[in-house]
Amino acid sequence: MAAEIYIPPVLQALVNGISRVNVSGDTIGECFENMLQQYPALKPKLYDKHGKLPKGISIFLNGVSAYPNPLPKPVHDGDKIYISHIVLGG
Amino acid sequence: MTTNTGRILRINLSSGKVSTETVPEDVARDFVGGRGYGVKYLYDEVAPGTDPLSEENKLFLVSGPLAGTMAQAVSRWIVCTKSPLTGAFARSVCGADFGAWMRFADYEIIIIEGKAAKPCYIHITPDGVKVLDAKEVWGKDTKETQAWFNSQHGNNTRAACIGPAGENLVKYAAVVSHRRTAGRCGTGAVMGSKNLKAVVITAPRALHLADTDAYNALARKQVNIIKGNDAFLNHKEWGTTSTQDVTNAIGIYPVRNFRYGQLVDFKKVVGAEYRKMRVGDIGCYSCPARCGKVHTVPSGIYKGAHSEGPEYESIWAFTGSIESDNIEASIAADELCDDLGLDTISTGNTIGFAYELYEKGLINKSDTDGLELVFGKHEPMVALVKKIALRQGIGDLLAEGTMRVAAKLDKGSDVYAIHVKGMELPAYEPRGAKSQGYNYATASVGASHCYGYAAQDIFGAPFPHPTDRFDEGNADIVIFNQNGTATNECGVICAFAGGWGWSPLYGKLLAAARGIDVYKDDAYMAKVGERLFNLERAFNIRQGLGRKDDYLPKRIRTEPLHTRQAKGEGQMVSHNDEFLDKYYSLRGWTKEGVPTEDKLKELSLEYVAKDIK
Repeated sequence: MAAEIYIPPVLQALVNGISRVNVSGDTIGECFENMLQQYPALKPKLYDKHGKLPKGISIFLNGVSAYPNPLPKPVHDGDKIYISHIVLGG
Repeated sequence: MTTNTGRILRINLSSGKVSTETVPEDVARDFVGGRGYGVKYLYDEVAPGTDPLSEENKLFLVSGPLAGTMAQAVSRWIVCTKSPLTGAFARSVCGADFGAWMRFADYEIIIIEGKAAKPCYIHITPDGVKVLDAKEVWGKDTKETQAWFNSQHGNNTRAACIGPAGENLVKYAAVVSHRRTAGRCGTGAVMGSKNLKAVVITAPRALHLADTDAYNALARKQVNIIKGNDAFLNHKEWGTTSTQDVTNAIGIYPVRNFRYGQLVDFKKVVGAEYRKMRVGDIGCYSCPARCGKVHTVPSGIYKGAHSEGPEYESIWAFTGSIESDNIEASIAADELCDDLGLDTISTGNTIGFAYELYEKGLINKSDTDGLELVFGKHEPMVALVKKIALRQGIGDLLAEGTMRVAAKLDKGSDVYAIHVKGMELPAYEPRGAKSQGYNYATASVGASHCYGYAAQDIFGAPFPHPTDRFDEGNADIVIFNQNGTATNECGVICAFAGGWGWSPLYGKLLAAARGIDVYKDDAYMAKVGERLFNLERAFNIRQGLGRKDDYLPKRIRTEPLHTRQAKGEGQMVSHNDEFLDKYYSLRGWTKEGVPTEDKLKELSLEYVAKDIK
């Protein structure tokens, strides 16, 4: 399946400054693996040392929260996956 | 089920008269509570042309219908008034326990009118309300003041008070409760102008809900959702002390009075560095996040400085604005602001402005009492905080805020005054997050970051749709954020807690608290948010504000941003007029930014039309 991953501003420096990455995969996890093959520098920001998604990011699929357990969620052609940095504010 | 619309306590300090009222059901239905009640009563009771520091102005302390209950992160409270800083609608939100204590005393609104003949404080207990002599605490800082109230009235006492800054009518003085502040808009100066040192409540815990069983069942659900939510867990760990890691990285951390978007060596001020000085954490009533991170400086010239904070805005105010990376100085300045009762944002921004005036030769050492206001030097910054609060030397001028200082100095200094409607910009560079910038331009209160926080631009939030942060055309996003914030502040829920996964319960909790079922309808609540924003706009129009006041500062519109290592070099805001045309059109306002009769009718605000023709 062909999908698009939206990259939050704080991670764009790790993908040559772009805001969207075209990927393929049947699940969100597979799409992430495909993105990491293209941009390996993202890996420490996308997974913690235990291989889990860190608390500092949120994942949305077509604008809807992908939680709980986002990585096995199925992806269809044309889907949009959004990585959002958790809102810190101040 | 009996409805519980909330009670009003009204105190006239000129006459000494005290009375109580119940909020009418139609007002509760249309305005829900919190900020809704604040703007409704302010609009109805404060006339156009009122001098904000005169006895004709009124101060509204407003709690929310959920405060003091077992639901989490819903006990914040708000100060509304006419702002002495902007002349516009003022809304300033505060945490700690005071909102819960208002509900324990069974008041949702405390309206303070008139002016006392001598310094006083209001003491509220279940046995009644007294206006008492404040001579023992007048002139004292907020820490000493609150300790004195506890010594006089017991530990079951909470206060909303001012420090010396409020007494001295500093235009951006805060109202302080524990170590939290209703910081923005100069609400502390209004309290000071009434010779009122504090509102003090001594009350046992009590619940006032329309349907307690239903409410508590919903609250238990909320607690279960929150405790497993990643955003909550992240907030519990860091509070806002790591936001600067992101804003520096993407080039929107304002530096040197809004010339740069990144500190040269920003790794020195990241959250992990503040973490090394953290000695504890403090939370608001019934909130497990305890996001107030407490820091103590262990050594050096600021040794012993101790503050609940600084949180993100204050970190920026006392680093970025003067291009300092000394975090110890930021802790010391933050502590002083809380003690003296100052808004950290306007204080830090105004000090950065003074540094630039000094750099440009518009003021010199003879004006600054010998202080060398050289960018990077933090000692004069800390000295200026105290001078501003006490109106000593140059502090007397700076206490007026950037807009008035520039008007007084002239000589082209207005380009260095970074404000909207007279209120100083906070810690997000508009040229690198343009929906955030246009929120500053159009917010009812002036440049407030949390009036319609653009998480889409800053963090990549994808709802209602993702944005390109350099795009100036996202008027729909600005409106979505502003209306949503207004809806949540009827609660009055914490701005962070809205992202902890329980928002589908919000309307249901309100309905159980009030006994008004229509709140369960999300579309209805969205319309309430829009109604609030339009009534605030009408208040401002009636005070003489309008399109001319919806522009970002000259520097932001005429000078390119320099982002150093980050994306966005050379960005400017170039389409303020086009943005306003689109924004006003989407809001149903005229080209001059006035709500149309059709829009007012749609929002059940027909009675406002005659006031703003």
